[in-house]
Amino acid sequence: MKQAKRKSVLLFMFCLILVLTACSGNNGTTEQPDTTKKEVEPSKKQITLTFQNHYPDATDVQHKVMQQITDDYMAANPHIKVEVDSLNIDQQKIKLKTQAASNDMPDITVVNAAAQMAPFVEGGKLASLNDILERDGLGESFHSGILDYYTFDDNVYALPDGNNIAVIYYNKELFEQAGVAIPATYDDLIKAAETFNSKKIIPMVVGEKETWTGSYFFMNILLRLAGPGYLNDVQNKTKDFMDPAFIESVAKFRQFIEAKGFQEGATSYDYDSAESLFTSGQAAMYFMGTWATGAMDEADVKGKVGVFPFPTVDGKGDPNEYMLGPGTGFALAANSEHLEEAKDFLHYFMTNYPKVSFDFKNAVGVAQVVQGDFVQAGYSQLAIDVLDIFKQVKGGDIAFDNTMDPSTTQTHLNSIQNLFVSSIPPEDTAREHQNAFAANNQ
Amino acid sequence: MHAAKISKLTLSVFVLPCLILYVVLVFVPISVAGYYSLFQWNGIGEQLFVGFSNYSKMLTNDPVFWPSVGRTIMFAFFSMAEIPIALLIAVLLTRYVRKPNFLVSSYFLPVILSVVVIGQLWKSIYNPASLGGLLNNALDFVGLESWTRTWLADPKVSIFALFFVSLWQYLGYHILIQFTGIQNISQEVYEAAKIDGADGWKADRYITFPLVVPVFKISMVLAVIGSLKVFDMVMVMTAGGPAHATEVISTLMYNKTFAALEYGYGSAISIFLVIECLLATVLLNKLFKSSEDSME
Repeated sequence: MKQAKRKSVLLFMFCLILVLTACSGNNGTTEQPDTTKKEVEPSKKQITLTFQNHYPDATDVQHKVMQQITDDYMAANPHIKVEVDSLNIDQQKIKLKTQAASNDMPDITVVNAAAQMAPFVEGGKLASLNDILERDGLGESFHSGILDYYTFDDNVYALPDGNNIAVIYYNKELFEQAGVAIPATYDDLIKAAETFNSKKIIPMVVGEKETWTGSYFFMNILLRLAGPGYLNDVQNKTKDFMDPAFIESVAKFRQFIEAKGFQEGATSYDYDSAESLFTSGQAAMYFMGTWATGAMDEADVKGKVGVFPFPTVDGKGDPNEYMLGPGTGFALAANSEHLEEAKDFLHYFMTNYPKVSFDFKNAVGVAQVVQGDFVQAGYSQLAIDVLDIFKQVKGGDIAFDNTMDPSTTQTHLNSIQNLFVSSIPPEDTAREHQNAFAANNQ
Repeated sequence: MHAAKISKLTLSVFVLPCLILYVVLVFVPISVAGYYSLFQWNGIGEQLFVGFSNYSKMLTNDPVFWPSVGRTIMFAFFSMAEIPIALLIAVLLTRYVRKPNFLVSSYFLPVILSVVVIGQLWKSIYNPASLGGLLNNALDFVGLESWTRTWLADPKVSIFALFFVSLWQYLGYHILIQFTGIQNISQEVYEAAKIDGADGWKADRYITFPLVVPVFKISMVLAVIGSLKVFDMVMVMTAGGPAHATEVISTLMYNKTFAALEYGYGSAISIFLVIECLLATVLLNKLFKSSEDSME
């Protein structure tokens, strides 16, 4: 009995602590504005802006650039405090969706381009940025066409920091060792894979646990066979997924998998572990967006990596057309209490972004025009090569998830992953796409 | 009894904090999910009331749903099958090991490790031999090359590879529970039985097993509920892939809600999960009730 009593007392105290801590937590958040108000200067109110982004790694150059500009802004505007909320990309996506659902979005946040940001725009969650683009010619600093991916009904809702294209990185040493030349056609690519396999070298890596990576490669085949804008045509219902070019693309993709073009067990590799197979020099090729350039220059393979464009498929397609990667863009919450200040901050941020990035040697694949001599600033040969490729870009297409609705996208991503593990007829894969599209776009 | 003297008011005051917590953290979210499951909603824009069509789509028209349920239930069975093994090990530990606490703690160790750590560890064990996978290299070494495979990328075996890791991780947990249960049986009972000639296995058969049933039951319920809502392990190791081959109910719910942005549909799946867990608990309780009754 005595013991039971003691137990119940303990239990009660535990509950009490829970309740008390819950209450004190509430008090903390409600009282905070009061304390900051006391420090207010007579003329200007103290303001806190929340800046959500997905550069959580403080050693990463992207994070350093972001932090530098933010700190500069706060130094120039002492009455504004910018609170940085850095999360990794998946967490950030989910946090933002939850915040949007409860009308509690951060003042400044990041969204993905085109179809992925459409729900936010249609839900009226984002503020139009047309006015700050006109201020001091900020709009002209962007590469032509890039803002289209963030524009809905002539209103720009997000400003991108990156503008990338997909290329094939290759390990020059391994190519020489196996006696393989740079593939100019898709058949060459498959032959190269066979040669590498016979020499026990992994031909190409892909992080297919994150399904978009395989889809990105597949989409480049589709771009060669069907030409740019195919998915838009599907969306406008002038074409469908049963198109011969789509079916043929599935067959071609499958052909590369059957030639063991990708590493064994590719579907269990996430992005980072796949990339490290290449950057540690174990694989010959790596198909990825040019944002990966920075990682190459910091790894074992530094100095041994070259780039070439995705080859033509069956003599079709223009190698100067690329999978374009309009990256994430910074957006502002429409219901922000300090929308004007947030706009001011974003204007400052984007105006200074190219210069600060250049200084941090991170100006490859920036969405804005960068002034400066890259060679003189000590950029790596790989970075220079990538910049040269950028000069030859004659358009292209964007990723599947940036074009289609999220539900069809998931079906697509899963059926592409399925190609890695089972040999179903390409027509079935196409039909799976068509059914999902029809169900979600009635 | 002291209990009679405590007024109803005092009782309710003491119960209230927990009740509030329970209602706010359990009951309200479930009701909210139930409400959203009646809508077609992407989580951001407009909500469109669709009645029970999410449920009918889930039950009749989703090629991934029933296989996911099947895998989840299969996993629950595997977890249940693990409990007798845990009990056996606990009995052996009590009987033959002089200082069993150290062993029990070591078996328990995987439980306190983060699932992410375990997942990464086993991922590298399951890797292809060419990339240093321990398991495949070991098979190669003993001459079983034909058994080697890409464990997590082969849709036929990947789900079992996942189950195995989870079973391995929680074996120590159940051993600890059973072991404690056995320790709590009074030594006097055994001594009395010894005088009557019941020793060794006989003592286990007629004393240990019947008296450990309540603890056994707890283990069972924990194992079943735990496996019905398994999520983190699958997410870390395969994220439901390749091509849905390792999808279970909770990962399907997550993927539908957050990746495909079908918030209402995801809510419907979560309601299914709640009902399934409740059913399993009730069923298990019934089962043990009848077996306990028969023993008395």
